[in-house]
Amino acid sequence: MSLSVQGILRALTVATAAFAATPALAQMELKIIAPAAPGGGWDQTARSMQQAMVASGAAKSAQVTNIPGAGGTVGLAQFVNTAKGDGNTLMVNGFVMVGAILTNKSPVNLDQVTPIAKLTEEMQIIVVPANSPIKTAKDLADAVKKDVSKVTFAGGSAGGVDHIMAALFVGSSGADASKVNYVPFSGGGESLAAIIGGKVTAGISGYAEYEGQIKAGRLRAIGITSAERRPGIAVPTFKEQGIDLVITNWRSVVAGPGINDAQKKALTDAVDRMVKSNAWKEVLKQKGWDDAFVSGDAFAKFLKDEQTRVRKVLADVGLVK
Amino acid sequence: MDAFAALATGLTVALQPINLLYALIGVLLGTAVGVLPGIGPALTVALLLPITFKLDPAGSLIMFAGIYYGGMYGGSTTAILINTPGESASLATALEGNKMAKAGRGGPALATAAIGSFVAGTLATIGIVFLAPWLVEVAVSFGPEDYFALMCVAFITVSATFGSSPIRGLTALFIGLTLGIVGIDRLTGQARLSFSVPELLDGVEITTLAVGLFAVGEALYVASRRHKHAETLEPVRGSLWMTKEDWKRSWKPWLRGTMFGFPIGALPAGGAEIPTFLSYSTERKLTKHPEEFGHGAIEGVAGPEAANNASAAGTLVPLLTLGLPTSATAAMMLAGFQQYGLNPGPLLFAERPDLVWGLIASLFIANVMLLVLNLPLVGLWVRLLAIPQPWLYAGILVFATMGTIAAKPSVVELTMLVAFGIMGYVMRRFDYPIAPVVVGLILGPIAEAQLRRALQISLGDPMVLLQSPMSATLLAISAVALIAPFVMKGLGKLNNSDD
Amino acid sequence: MDGSRQVDRAGMALAALLLVIAAVIFWDTSNLQLAATYGVGPKAMPIVVASGLALLAVGNAVLAWRGDFPAREDTDPKAILLILGGLAALIAIIGLGGGFIPATAILFAATATAFGRRAILTDLAIGLVLAVAVYLMFAKILTLSLPMGPIERLL
Repeated sequence: MSLSVQGILRALTVATAAFAATPALAQMELKIIAPAAPGGGWDQTARSMQQAMVASGAAKSAQVTNIPGAGGTVGLAQFVNTAKGDGNTLMVNGFVMVGAILTNKSPVNLDQVTPIAKLTEEMQIIVVPANSPIKTAKDLADAVKKDVSKVTFAGGSAGGVDHIMAALFVGSSGADASKVNYVPFSGGGESLAAIIGGKVTAGISGYAEYEGQIKAGRLRAIGITSAERRPGIAVPTFKEQGIDLVITNWRSVVAGPGINDAQKKALTDAVDRMVKSNAWKEVLKQKGWDDAFVSGDAFAKFLKDEQTRVRKVLADVGLVK
Repeated sequence: MDAFAALATGLTVALQPINLLYALIGVLLGTAVGVLPGIGPALTVALLLPITFKLDPAGSLIMFAGIYYGGMYGGSTTAILINTPGESASLATALEGNKMAKAGRGGPALATAAIGSFVAGTLATIGIVFLAPWLVEVAVSFGPEDYFALMCVAFITVSATFGSSPIRGLTALFIGLTLGIVGIDRLTGQARLSFSVPELLDGVEITTLAVGLFAVGEALYVASRRHKHAETLEPVRGSLWMTKEDWKRSWKPWLRGTMFGFPIGALPAGGAEIPTFLSYSTERKLTKHPEEFGHGAIEGVAGPEAANNASAAGTLVPLLTLGLPTSATAAMMLAGFQQYGLNPGPLLFAERPDLVWGLIASLFIANVMLLVLNLPLVGLWVRLLAIPQPWLYAGILVFATMGTIAAKPSVVELTMLVAFGIMGYVMRRFDYPIAPVVVGLILGPIAEAQLRRALQISLGDPMVLLQSPMSATLLAISAVALIAPFVMKGLGKLNNSDD
Repeated sequence: MDGSRQVDRAGMALAALLLVIAAVIFWDTSNLQLAATYGVGPKAMPIVVASGLALLAVGNAVLAWRGDFPAREDTDPKAILLILGGLAALIAIIGLGGGFIPATAILFAATATAFGRRAILTDLAIGLVLAVAVYLMFAKILTLSLPMGPIERLL
């Protein structure tokens, strides 16, 4: 019995495969993989793309699939296997995946996918409790230099962007980056409570997450990680305080391995059209994301550079051999 | 009182007929998705959130609240009726609730769950109005060492689920602790017990374990004994509704459950599981009918359900006063707020009181709607048990596998579900208690991470556990709770030997 | 079955299994390369748990040796194998891309058979109808992502 069921299945598979092979000429039916559970940053990016893609007419339809797990590496592995040569599938990824691939010893990596475009970025921030004696980035750097073990940083998961940033800060302060006392917390809420409650010296996170607390006077911002000072934000950059720390938490889209140039161009054009649409601009405004659109070779080079940089920091901290 | 005036305004908005309709649709949709094992309220809300995009702010918040409560109640319904807790917070409910359902008392169990949720939700809402500013200061001052001490208290209470033999109970607990080690170590980012399987890096999903042990394990066990014990389920034995006696036995657990749930839910890493288990073990200790525990005691449903709902309201305290989303659900609420371009935070109460009180009023209305909708449906729900056994269990397995695959589309996850099912069968056959496994998986990782965080911050000095007054108090409580039964037993023996 | 003084072999096997798990944890711990820079490292918890399991293995072995394990009744291995077979078929079909609906229908029929029904075709049909209804409701209306196969693509 199971044999005959299999037979029917196989026949049906063949039939539908033939059906799907007829070229979709006018507009693509896009599949977007979010390698994370519903609700997180990558999922929100994927779902916002879904809306903007359809609204802008860049795609006829778009479907989001969540493949959560292990900093996106579960989704990446599946994507590399199933989206080979597939010109209709995109995957959202970002800075966190670069680190996760290394720390999780993932068998697949970002060299195997086809880079399409960087979409958004968020700058990072270091904060201290409002009643802390530390007032500037220099104060914090001095404290680190004095005794690196006594300066505790709270942030997100081990090996993530916050952790990497803590190590970079300690390194640029002139202390031993491998001695950074970084305390990972499970969620933004938990680490924020630890900072406000004065359990740790400083906290690291994306800017938006702490914005309200800074405005309410519970936290003091001592520096942002963007290259330039931002209009409307009274916090100085680390760079202008003499500390070489520029890092952003970026998100991008990539396509499957082995797609041909025509497919790559079609996908890039579709993303291009989406990014220019009003629907996407509305999304950026609503979510507080910075537009960081870079595509083509420039993005491919950026991706390579970030991989090199992250690998070095993780090796410095001792998270990767 | 300002707050009450604002709440009243919020209520009048929520009570408009069209908004009531939205609440009703939300509750229905939420229940429909929430009954899937493995899909808890947070995921339900995440999946259904886009539906609310098209409505105006008030309508959207109300439908949102409805989906949320529907999702939560959906999990309790399956826990009671088919022993399949849809989410980790309804585990404690399954322990006694399903026994009640099997004894033909599913009606009262569902009713006490619904009414208890309503009572707890209402009290907790009042708690937000009066206690939020004060409670949030306590919550923020709760450090890693205090969480560790709280976990110690929770660990002691696990023994309430051990059954007759401490060795068997501890064995089950340690299997749970073992499963809790699986995955990436939160503090150093290294993989433990993952055997290079990427799907294991995130650890064992609590719901996969619970659904495997409870639903699949039970299906295997019942099927294997069917030729000897043809289990006949009577959907209704005695009254379908709560009797006077049921009410009398329920109201105190509702209140006590609220007392556990609301403050612990307000803690940034408090969660809903711990208060439900604290409530369960407390009710078990305090009951006048200890012989009924393990066979369907209504207190064991009333307390945990109230605690579950109160803790959900508790998470609103840090969300609304600090802008801290402390649970997955709170994070989804944040997303709900962001639809209107505003971030909850310390200034929200001052800047947009209408939306804050609108949300609280919506939660209240959704809670009422749930009660109105579900009490009449209790009769229909328990009829589910009248489905012939082969189809009932086939249906249970279909929904168990579907919930798992919908939450995590992976063959590895399904394989784990089946493995846990086999484990559940073996444990039943050899009379090991099931619940401690799940409790070990929930508490173990939290206790470990918080202790290590505390020691990392103190640079390895264990005195940090005693220097915090909160932690010292909680540790003292757990020490007393641990030693007291032995002392009592010893005294009892002493007295006996005197005779 | 007066086994009160007999060695319980199945019980001994379970105790041995616990010991094996403890050994696996110890082995896994020895593979961890990084220690924490400050405070307690990642090895402490596994070592505590593994030691506890080893002690409990001894405890369970003593119970089994003295025949203090609970008495068990005969089981129906056919029923268990049918359900497990249904689950295995489900995993295989989904893993091979056959989709949610046929996988679910087979699991439904296998389970119903394990519970004593003798009408496979009817149950397959019922399972199929249930699966289609569930798929339409959850995947189409409520936008849950369920495994796609040939049948699902046609719907």
